[in-house]
Amino acid sequence: MSTTRTYHKVSIWRRYDFVLLILVVILVGLGIVMIYSAYEYSIPKEGRTWWDNLVNRQIIFAIIGFILFFGVSIIDYRHILSLSYILYIGVILILLVTSVLGHTSFGAQSWLRIQNLTLQPSELAKVLVILVTANVLGVEDDKFEKLTPLLLSAILVLPPVALIYLQPDFGTAMILFASWIVMVFLAGVRWRHLAIIAGIAGVGAPILWFRLNPYQRKRVTSFLYPSQADAGDSYNIRQALISIGSGGWWGKGLLKGTQSQLYFLRVRHTDFIFSVWAEEMGFIGAIVLIGLLALLIWRIIRVAMTARDAKGRLIAIGIAAMIFIQTFINIGMNLNLLPVTGLPLPLISYGGSSLVATLLALGLVENVAMHSKPLEADLF
Amino acid sequence: MTNWYIRGRYVLFRIIVIAAVVLVSAKLWDLQIVSSQSYQTEANANRFRLVQIDAPRGVIYDSAGRLLVRNVPSFSVMVTPGALPEDTEQREQVLQKLGDYLGIPVHETALDSIIYSSSSEGAEPLAINSQRTKTIDDIMNTQYNGEWTAVRIASNVPRDIAFIIEETQTQMPGVSVVAEPIREYLEGELMSHILGYEGRIPADELEAYQAQTELKYQPDDLVGLTGIEATQESVLRGTAGQKHIEVDAYEHEVAVLAEDEPVPGANVRLTIDVELQRAVEDILRDGMKRANSDVGVAVLLDPNTGKLLSSVSLPSFDNNKFSGGISYDEYYQLSSDPNHPMIDHAISGQYPPGSTFKVIPAAAALQEGIITLGTTVNCQGTIKVPNKYFPDDPTLAQTFYCWQTWGHGNVNVTEALQGSCDIFFYTVGGGTNDFEGLGIDRLDEYMKMFGFGSPTGIELTGESKGLVPTPKWKVQNYGESWALGDTYNASIGQGFDLVTPLQLVNATAAIANGGTLYQPQVVEEITDADGHVIQAFQPKVIRELAIDKDILAYVRAAMRDTVANGTARYAQIPGIEVAGKTGSAEYAVWDANGDLVRDEFGHLPTHAWFIAFAPYENPEVAVVVFLEGGGTGAEMAAPVVANILRYYFGLPTVDLSDPTRQIID
Repeated sequence: MSTTRTYHKVSIWRRYDFVLLILVVILVGLGIVMIYSAYEYSIPKEGRTWWDNLVNRQIIFAIIGFILFFGVSIIDYRHILSLSYILYIGVILILLVTSVLGHTSFGAQSWLRIQNLTLQPSELAKVLVILVTANVLGVEDDKFEKLTPLLLSAILVLPPVALIYLQPDFGTAMILFASWIVMVFLAGVRWRHLAIIAGIAGVGAPILWFRLNPYQRKRVTSFLYPSQADAGDSYNIRQALISIGSGGWWGKGLLKGTQSQLYFLRVRHTDFIFSVWAEEMGFIGAIVLIGLLALLIWRIIRVAMTARDAKGRLIAIGIAAMIFIQTFINIGMNLNLLPVTGLPLPLISYGGSSLVATLLALGLVENVAMHSKPLEADLF
Repeated sequence: MTNWYIRGRYVLFRIIVIAAVVLVSAKLWDLQIVSSQSYQTEANANRFRLVQIDAPRGVIYDSAGRLLVRNVPSFSVMVTPGALPEDTEQREQVLQKLGDYLGIPVHETALDSIIYSSSSEGAEPLAINSQRTKTIDDIMNTQYNGEWTAVRIASNVPRDIAFIIEETQTQMPGVSVVAEPIREYLEGELMSHILGYEGRIPADELEAYQAQTELKYQPDDLVGLTGIEATQESVLRGTAGQKHIEVDAYEHEVAVLAEDEPVPGANVRLTIDVELQRAVEDILRDGMKRANSDVGVAVLLDPNTGKLLSSVSLPSFDNNKFSGGISYDEYYQLSSDPNHPMIDHAISGQYPPGSTFKVIPAAAALQEGIITLGTTVNCQGTIKVPNKYFPDDPTLAQTFYCWQTWGHGNVNVTEALQGSCDIFFYTVGGGTNDFEGLGIDRLDEYMKMFGFGSPTGIELTGESKGLVPTPKWKVQNYGESWALGDTYNASIGQGFDLVTPLQLVNATAAIANGGTLYQPQVVEEITDADGHVIQAFQPKVIRELAIDKDILAYVRAAMRDTVANGTARYAQIPGIEVAGKTGSAEYAVWDANGDLVRDEFGHLPTHAWFIAFAPYENPEVAVVVFLEGGGTGAEMAAPVVANILRYYFGLPTVDLSDPTRQIID
């Protein structure tokens, strides 16, 4: 018994994905450097407390996040999945409480304020919905001739999506829904069933479009027709393009971006942090950052493909999808490829809820990696 | 994972990730490599500014070099609408905080609207507006000129409040403090009519200002609007410099890259001695109190150069109120005052000159040979002007009176001036059946020669030209033809004649100096910032009077006699020979019933005038004193002139307000 346990322990850490860990540490570190650059000279130093400093806050969030990252990776994900329904109900309740008592910021009631700390429960909801979905869809492949798991997962995913959408946090709801679609697709759902989902989505989309807040609709129309753009949005998109474009090959140097340091670029430490990086570190720096993020996503997909079972595979793939979509939407917004949605860049942007939830999700990926089948890994 | 069906979908996912990386990298290549140059240009346009540095405005000194005005910093609080927080709640917080600092409400409160609606029944629409305090909303709405143009919320913000706002600026995005030099007038009311005041360029005059390209006017610039500030604007303004600066998104200057220093404005020294001015003001104020007069003027000229030595118009106003923008309430109060404190009555007031005017027909009649020194006219107190249509019917004739109803008897020109005999000047000016007078055309010619009917051209604003009435003028304005009676009235400075106090003292100066009509000037010299004289004083001659020197000498002698033995004995001062002429100019005011106001003897009220020069030989100073509705010139104006001359010649002044005091030594 004791020998088995010893062997087991060793084997767990042997399969630990250190490449993933190093990538995560580098990205979080880069994020803190960028927040420092975007923030340091924006606020006068005198009279500012240690906690006022967003850099210090992000470091604390990162420490909490890494504790969860390691903590969650040790417990076998199958134990965690067995708890997922309880956690799911808990998250639905928190989302309901947020809708009723939540603190409104930037037009959305998506913040829960506990004393001095504001939490964004929708970030945690994303991770838990991925777990629940993986648990439902992670059945044997041939069973996807039946619609039951698909319908069940749809029934489970819709309440949190709807609650987040009604906050209204269109961006997060969209990420969650899209991650579910990717999971459904990669779970092996038949094409004809996918066509049904597409059909329902096709009917629902116009209804949801008209349910959108005017400012959100405007963001989409202003993206399609820039002349109708809201002054604030189009100003910042313009400034983001100037920031990125003026960076050139090598950038203006850390803390030397004229657009960022002279406040021309707004929301620099959150939604538009990529523009700060591209301005100060140039094309080379931007490509390096994109490369690191792509490598991270690639690595998570690799973990998925080596997973021991369908549930583990779907956990990893859901998280890969979530990080990929959010990264693409954020960078696409910075580059004016996509409309403004106000989504942070995972691991990089300032924001405690987002960072902690993302690290928790990546901890689950490590968990899947640690419990993976070794032989399959060599094929990819 | 053995299911190749699913494995294919994983490959598809990876392909999508690669596609996304390629798409994003391609866009980055386009932005950062292909189009980088144009974005760099835009980034530079964002942060670099070529701004004008306003030159320090020149200052103004009195004749003795005492500083009359200096530049002090003033703080304005601006709000850039586009830079305010987008979040409604935060935006409201910023404005509320700003409102608290400035003591201005942000929004219209319920109470305000009640006051507003209850007073809207009043007849005075301007007064209603002033009832309601202007809110920040009001200012932002009315001054709005685009999201990124700063709106001036408050001017003349106290220094400590400006500093607090400046320090908390980062917590109030969109709010900025601008420091701007404004004028501080050290003498306030004493010199306000001469110095004038500054204000922002009126919108409808902007083009005219900017047409002077070398002065580089900007739409919101402060410029001299009245007085010396206005007439010497181009001298005081200086030449603006410029600098290349780096700014942040809130247009705050971050660094200076290059600077081209401005050239400070030149300084102006006036001909006025501020201590003399102060003494004249005190004396005039006492004289007005004694005469129960609400408006008074005293002007002193140097008859040998045309230099304005002193010019006081009461009531006055504090021109400091205009520095950095006068409030609506204060402006309304000043402009609705029936005595018009903002108007310089010395140059803008137009009044009948009364008997002071008689020196003009006297000189004219002698020059034209209408009379000689020996010519006498018999004054019985009245003279009749026959009716134009029934010249033989004495009952229809109009009677003209002498102020001395019992008459002066036989008087020559000297005696007529000395006793201010009206009958003599009616006769000499208009003529009678058996005496050829000057006639209105020749009288007008001499009036114009003495400078009446046109502005003197002094370097001040708002000068009136007075009125030299002609038959043509009367037809155009009254639809009636000129009558002999009109000439009679014109000959004694009544009827339609209108003069400004400055015109009258300038004519007096021309008589005093032997026949040169100078243009009055108030600028002694202009010096640059280093003290080098750019422009020195040069007397300007309007014209030499076409009157023989000895005739002017006779007039001067008669004026001396008027003070020595005639109506103006109250103008005597010890040790100095004063020459002068009194005037009590009748004017018409109507009471509430539309009836002319008359005293118990049936006389119309009179303005008290006195003109004088001294010393009689080699005059140094010419003076006029005017007291609106002040009574007779002899009793009320002459003692004021005497006191002014006492001060001027270093003699102790007399307390005019003490009625028991003998005012002749």
